[in-house]
Amino acid sequence: MTGKIELREGIGKSESFFQMAWRRFRRHPLARLGGWVLLVLYLGALFADFLAPYPEGKSFRQFSYAPPTQVFWRDADGRLTRPYVCASERKRNPETFRVEVTTDCSQGRYPIYFFVHGEPYKFLGFIPANLRLMGGDWLVSEQAHLFIWGTDDFGRDLWGRIWYGSRVSLTVGIFATVLALLIGVFLGGIAGLYAGKPVTLSVGFASPEFRHYLRRGHPFAAWLKALGWTLVWLGLAGLIWITLQGFLQSSLGLEAILAGAIGVGLLGAIGYFLVWQTVKLDLDTLIMRTTEVLAAIPDLFLLITLSVLIPQDIPPATRFILVVSILSFVNWGGLARTVRSQVLQLREMEYAQAAQALGASEARTLIRHILPGTFTYLIVVVTLSIPGFILAESGLSFLGLGIQEPASSWGLLLSKAQQTGIIAFTERPWLLIPGLFILIAVLAYNLLGDGLRDALDPRSRR
Amino acid sequence: MWSYIVRRLLQLVPTFFGATLLAFIIIQLAPGDFVTRLELDPTQTRESIASLRREFALDQPWTVQYAKWVSGVLQGKLGLSLSYKADVWKVIWPRILNSMVLVVLSTLLIYLVAIPVGVYSAVRQYSIGDRVLTVLAFIGVAIPNFFFALIMLFVAVWLNDTTGMKLLPIGGMTSEFVGGVPYLQAPWWQRTLNVLWHALPVVLVLATTGTAGLIRVMRGQMLEVLNQDYIRTARAKGVSERVAVYKHALRNAVIPLVAGIGFLLPGLIGGAGLIEVVMAWPGITPMLLDAISAVDLYLVMGFITVTTILLMLGNLLSDLLLAWVDPRIRYN
Repeated sequence: MTGKIELREGIGKSESFFQMAWRRFRRHPLARLGGWVLLVLYLGALFADFLAPYPEGKSFRQFSYAPPTQVFWRDADGRLTRPYVCASERKRNPETFRVEVTTDCSQGRYPIYFFVHGEPYKFLGFIPANLRLMGGDWLVSEQAHLFIWGTDDFGRDLWGRIWYGSRVSLTVGIFATVLALLIGVFLGGIAGLYAGKPVTLSVGFASPEFRHYLRRGHPFAAWLKALGWTLVWLGLAGLIWITLQGFLQSSLGLEAILAGAIGVGLLGAIGYFLVWQTVKLDLDTLIMRTTEVLAAIPDLFLLITLSVLIPQDIPPATRFILVVSILSFVNWGGLARTVRSQVLQLREMEYAQAAQALGASEARTLIRHILPGTFTYLIVVVTLSIPGFILAESGLSFLGLGIQEPASSWGLLLSKAQQTGIIAFTERPWLLIPGLFILIAVLAYNLLGDGLRDALDPRSRR
Repeated sequence: MWSYIVRRLLQLVPTFFGATLLAFIIIQLAPGDFVTRLELDPTQTRESIASLRREFALDQPWTVQYAKWVSGVLQGKLGLSLSYKADVWKVIWPRILNSMVLVVLSTLLIYLVAIPVGVYSAVRQYSIGDRVLTVLAFIGVAIPNFFFALIMLFVAVWLNDTTGMKLLPIGGMTSEFVGGVPYLQAPWWQRTLNVLWHALPVVLVLATTGTAGLIRVMRGQMLEVLNQDYIRTARAKGVSERVAVYKHALRNAVIPLVAGIGFLLPGLIGGAGLIEVVMAWPGITPMLLDAISAVDLYLVMGFITVTTILLMLGNLLSDLLLAWVDPRIRYN
């Protein structure tokens, strides 16, 4: 009996961390559901041109606020047939004096074909195509119309615009999270790494430390740095001087005396720093105070205020980028705090200290050894922060400050329900559909994030 | 404890200046000022525009404007609203009060609902009721509150139409007539009732997200605490389930919720904003939106200053509450 001895017998196949996580994740039915829903939504966004029967900006002014087009399944004899629509017309009802869209099947029936050639578009922006999910020759030649979810104020097909809008609404969360994450990881990492290790900003020229400082590095670089901080201090002093002058011009009495005292005090302090004092700054304190400042202003008000910085007449793509930027500007603080606390924890770990002891630079320690340790945690934080951004964007667009016409986004589409006034509210329920999409997307992300949190938790060994 | 409070208050000072400076810079970065608009108005002479500029110090560098504004705030003056031609404090105070009505009522509602429901969910884990509540909580967290507000309006209009009565208010904060007399002449209790009636749907919508989130937190906390040794010990001594849950477990489980009020407040103030716009509640946000589009610098600054102070005080209060309910926390 000289067979191979199975050493691993009874232990079973060993799994990597991600294999285990995947196994745990698949046991979460709701998280899986969330994943599938998101997949469908993102595919819909990718193939928005295919799903929509009309191009994004196509409007039928005479059909503003048209209700969903009736789709018939039975022919005149009551037999099941291919679904068809009838020509419709918009006119004033002679009895109620209300403008109504009436459908008249005597003028012809227009069967809906699937996978048809419609109006041409560019798939992904550069591949010419004209395949559309629903339609027929009658749709292109405008003999009849197909608005399965009704139209908005300009008579544009809501179903199509929801999918066109999903391209904005679904990607805004990802882009904003990535940008906020870049800022958050960069600043949070620096804060965590430099916590308790103040950085020297400037050294007074007449102080004994200045000679020490000159001896430490290359003299040219040292003098260049000294020139840099001198310019910064002098610039600051200039700013204070101008402010003080302007202020004293228009104030009297105690106010002027106090302002003068404060101004002169500040100028004196700068002079003192420049000549005698070494100024050290804890980057951690600076960054954390900044996040506190951002957190002190209510998010919505900060967003609204920042949105005035977006110029009015700019292309939709630029606007999208600016909206993403202000969203991440408002929200990077939380991520930075998360990263910082993780880094603070991990930098005391033996492996990080070992890397430092082996002579790795601070940047290398941070990027190669510490940040990878925060990854699983970050995945969860990211998944759970995307829906927040989606909600923020839709809120901003709802107020008319985010994405604007003629581009489309779910929040903007939902704002149409509000614009028409409360009187006509119950007559146009289809305008509420975009809100359902926001709800579903956010719900799916939350479910997915919950599942990921359980699956990626290294402490749960199931 | 007093030294702790004083230290915390002192820490708020730099944050406050940072926040107002940030807001000030953002508004200054925006193209044009309040007077730019008047330049297009043919009835305004060049001299009157220049004198307006001088009066509001708009011709000065922005650092001077900020210094002037800070000096005013230190004297208790928030400046003059450019579009209302009135003291900013007088313009914004009623609006802030209206918004605070919503925030305070919602906070009360959130805690009143979330704690018992969370406890129920945890004690009856995996029961039908727990599952239903979990699904509802997930939807409650995910629903955009302005969408929910629209649905609420929709329901109100539909309900009033079908019953022919005014069961639910449709937007606004007060009725034109209360009990047959104009609103302002009605007795105070009728006016209060009228405002509360108008606030009902708004508060319901506003409290939804917070309630749903807190139910989840409360449930998780309760489950964690119920699995701890001291609860088993209590049960082993023969303490009734009621006492074990409500006296031993609840007190520890509720601590993070108390701390959570600090996270809840900014969400409520911001969340109230969108709902105010949808439901025509005369709160902060509708006026802030107008003020921003009119570049009414001091009005915007007034709102941001006051809400920032309220938010910071709210956070301080939640820290103090936390130290009060959790004896393990020391003031240092």
